[in-house]
Amino acid sequence: MSRRLHIEIFRYNPLDPDSVPHMQSFYVNEYDSMTLFIALNIIREEQDPSVQFDFCCRAGICGSCGMVINGRPGLACHTQTRDLPEHIVLHPLPVFKLIGDLSVDTGTWFRAVGKKIEAWVHSDDTAFDVRAEEARMENALAEQIFELDRCVECGCCIAACGTARMREDFLGAATINRVARFYIDPRDERSDDDYYDVIGNDQGVFGCMGLLGCEDVCPKKIPLQDQLGIMRRMLALNSVKGILPKGILDKMKHKGCCHEKH
Amino acid sequence: MSLQNVTLHVPPKDKLSGRLDVLMMVSGFLLALFVGMHMVFVGSVIISPKLMNALAWFFEELYLVQIGGPVILLVMVGHFILGARKMPFRQKEYVAFRAHSKMMHHTDTTLWLVQVATAIIILVMASIHIYTMLDTLPITAAKSAARIQHGNWMPFYIVLLAAAAIHIVIGLYRIGVKFAVVTRENRPKARKFMVYLLVAAAVISFLTHIRLSLLTI
Ligand code: HEM
Ligand code: SF4
Ligand code: SF4
Ligand code: FES
Repeated sequence: MSRRLHIEIFRYNPLDPDSVPHMQSFYVNEYDSMTLFIALNIIREEQDPSVQFDFCCRAGICGSCGMVINGRPGLACHTQTRDLPEHIVLHPLPVFKLIGDLSVDTGTWFRAVGKKIEAWVHSDDTAFDVRAEEARMENALAEQIFELDRCVECGCCIAACGTARMREDFLGAATINRVARFYIDPRDERSDDDYYDVIGNDQGVFGCMGLLGCEDVCPKKIPLQDQLGIMRRMLALNSVKGILPKGILDKMKHKGCCHEKH
Repeated sequence: MSLQNVTLHVPPKDKLSGRLDVLMMVSGFLLALFVGMHMVFVGSVIISPKLMNALAWFFEELYLVQIGGPVILLVMVGHFILGARKMPFRQKEYVAFRAHSKMMHHTDTTLWLVQVATAIIILVMASIHIYTMLDTLPITAAKSAARIQHGNWMPFYIVLLAAAAIHIVIGLYRIGVKFAVVTRENRPKARKFMVYLLVAAAVISFLTHIRLSLLTI
């Protein structure tokens, strides 16, 4: 039995002075393996061409179609309508700047935090030799880095974070995960102290309250909880260096921890 | 160094944020440990009022109560101040968080608001409680029973107990999450364990109260 979906969409165009934020209802006939992305396109093509929402890859790769689906941030192209009730309510992701209706600007936000954490490999460029053979890396380590690099910057974890909503300067889980990615990369020569300067503050790891909204919504299942915990523990121990005996610190640091410079 | 923080002066390289975070975790953990031991101490009345009296005498002879009591109060206030740095006292923050928890219907997010509320309840009620205890030394099972039976302290204790138990259970879980002890893998197990802990605390306290209200003074 196919259902008739009732899709309620947040409508507001900040550029139009006459526009007021409101909810608008649409009805779409569901069919097999329909995604929210398909439903939205049907609405735009057949019912109202002015509905704004973003998409590009329709395969959970580009990260553009993040929106709040019945209260939970998620990717529209990654969400099948059969997993949702008949009544679907869609809002734009909070925290980010609204472009219109369901479309938000995640790019500016991610670029700003990327600059703050200096999201590039820090190595001695002058020592770079073009003729030398490329440095090798263990496959296991490359896979570990890739696991963290899979983030598509969709912004769902930021929108699902109570801390990020309360405090505009909070870097968020995706950003801390990004730092973790450089932290395990042996080519990045930043020390623990350098990393402390970047995220060892209330805008970074110590601002996180462990609410795990991020962990529970990430459509790519990035290990956010574990990375937040590992980075926080590393930096917390770093901050009491010299207060606690080194032996104890080292022991605590390595417990169940995969973050070793190889 | 984060470029955004560089201004005209050399930015200080201090480790304050991390140290405060560690301090908050350690103080919270110690308080939880104290409340656990405290629950066992008061619960000793279930076995026999004589045992409770003996333990009380022992702690008082060593001045553990007279000195430990105010110290616990200080640690508690300190822990509160550290925690208060995160609390949504500003209207804007509170409104944002409320809207957020309503939107998400997410247990861990909602529990944080519960933790904020119980923290304030404990701060006020545990202070009153510690003051009363230290004001009426020595501690005896008979006096405690009298407070429950004639002093109308029962409702006070039920609220304080519920607040403390809930706050501690959520707090311990949160410490685990923050420092990668509770991981993606063992999170469901950790949550179950916390529920058991809560039930155990409720059972012990329930029995303590029954015993104290039935004690002939
Ligand atoms: C060092 C200071 C403390 C002393 C000496 C102390 C002593 C006692 C004693 C003797 C009782 C038995 C009831 C009575 O006599 O009225 C009691 C009950 C209780 N105390 Fe404390 N206490 C202290 C600190 C705290 C703190 C910090 C908390 C909360 C975080 C707390 C929570 C409770 C609760 C909830 C009960 C009721 C116990 C139950 O129903 O099982 N106490 N305390
Ligand atoms: S960590 Fe997950 S939820 Fe967050 S931006 Fe990356 S892919 Fe999206
Ligand atoms: S665990 Fe931290 S980063 Fe993730 S949602 Fe909670 S506060 Fe935000
Ligand atoms: S359209 Fe690319 S992630 Fe959904």
